[in-house]
Amino acid sequence: MHGALHVATTGMSAQDTNLKVISNNLANVSTVGFKKDRAVFEDLLYQTRRQPGAESGADSQLPSGLQTGVGVRTVATQKMFEVGDIQVTDESFDVAITGAGFIQVALPDGNIAYTRNGQLGIDGENRLVTAEGFLVEPAITLPSEVTSFTISNNGTVTVTTAAGGPEAPQQIGVLELANFVNAQGLQPIGQNLFTESAASGAPTNAIPGTDGTGFLKQGALETSNVNAVEELVNMIQTQRAYEINSKVISTADQMLQYVNQNL
Amino acid sequence: MDKVLYVAMTGARENMFAQQVHANNLANATTSGFKADLEQARSMRVIGEGIPSRVYSMSERPATNTESGTLIQTGRPLDVAVQGNDWVAVRASDGSERYARGGELTLDVNGQLLMPNGTPVLGNGGAPINIPPAEQITIANDGSITIRPLGSPANELVVIDQIKMVSGQSGQLWKGEDGLMRTDDLAPLPASQNSQLRSGYIESSNVNAVAELTSMISLSRQFEMQVKIMKSADENAQTASRILQMS
Repeated sequence: MHGALHVATTGMSAQDTNLKVISNNLANVSTVGFKKDRAVFEDLLYQTRRQPGAESGADSQLPSGLQTGVGVRTVATQKMFEVGDIQVTDESFDVAITGAGFIQVALPDGNIAYTRNGQLGIDGENRLVTAEGFLVEPAITLPSEVTSFTISNNGTVTVTTAAGGPEAPQQIGVLELANFVNAQGLQPIGQNLFTESAASGAPTNAIPGTDGTGFLKQGALETSNVNAVEELVNMIQTQRAYEINSKVISTADQMLQYVNQNL
Repeated sequence: MDKVLYVAMTGARENMFAQQVHANNLANATTSGFKADLEQARSMRVIGEGIPSRVYSMSERPATNTESGTLIQTGRPLDVAVQGNDWVAVRASDGSERYARGGELTLDVNGQLLMPNGTPVLGNGGAPINIPPAEQITIANDGSITIRPLGSPANELVVIDQIKMVSGQSGQLWKGEDGLMRTDDLAPLPASQNSQLRSGYIESSNVNAVAELTSMISLSRQFEMQVKIMKSADENAQTASRILQMS
């Protein structure tokens, strides 16, 4: 009926998606280990209505044709993996990762997920778990009556117990980190967790501090990397772009209405 | 009946095509690296037998506005924005070389540098760029990509490749149906050594929302005038048939 109607519809739905992404980022502005998303747009495709150089008559050619675009498309949402600020909490079960690595988590279904959220804890069976209660992989079980709990820069977990006393620290495991060729390809599944996908490639496990995984920092957490100011600016832009596209729809509608009333 | 009806009808139809061009620009008002399409109307007489008394209008897209957009800082090392009127070379699905303004580049699982829609970015040799596993990737202003390979110390940097940039002269590049710029005969342009890009930035769309909306208003009023003429043609015909009525 009117091409501009459908074109503006794609514009509005793209801005709608953008607002959803922005609001999710803002909602997670204080989620530990959260990585912001960004919607990426591209122009859809072009229809050639008149070919440039086509014959317009005997011995004459069109110098330029008419190609009309059909709107915009959301190609992808990209996770932005910049490291957030490190916030010191002095809580011994908090760890922050200073590089690109991920803590490995065993999901209840047996699969492995990856997280940047280092808010760890222990469950009823003295095992090291995430805030959600999922086991950290490789599993680390604490002995009973722990008096101090230390995670070193390179992931070694050491405890002292009431029975052994402060002069007999025990090394009970190593917190290994996973690294990906293309971390942006990881699939976010919520709960601060990511799973491996065809785009991310297989993980390579490493001791913290090697292979670009980054060191561990006990007693600190990585804050969300959402920048509230940036998101609010994006929100203003999104709202105005949405309004402009709805203006296009109403203009196209008025044109059609005029035809209906006058012919 | 008077042929004015058909002249007015094509006018209205071409106005609608022109509206679509502006609507597409506005739909892409937030698409990074997007270049607004220009639109103009041409008078086109009917060529053929008979008296050339009718001149129709014809909308066309004479060119794309290649003015730069504003740079938006993102801080992400793989976001690139080209400066000035230069372009980054990419490989289209048919294997030919096309040009884009950079954008939010990504890596695939094999380390190939891609545009967000999966189109490979080309190096100076004309081949897609492959980045081995790296702790850090830096793209310099001249497009050269330096990495710190996985597990190597900070003083062992390796230059992998250079992003191919070209400078398109005015009238040399056209926007193809996939939205990427191309040369007329799809022949690759030579790499330009003076081109500069900025990593950590993306370029905003260069659509001027006010200009586009003003054109839309002007076109919609023009459209109403065409409809008005169609109505007059109708009234003329009615009057003519009334005169001839026997009553």
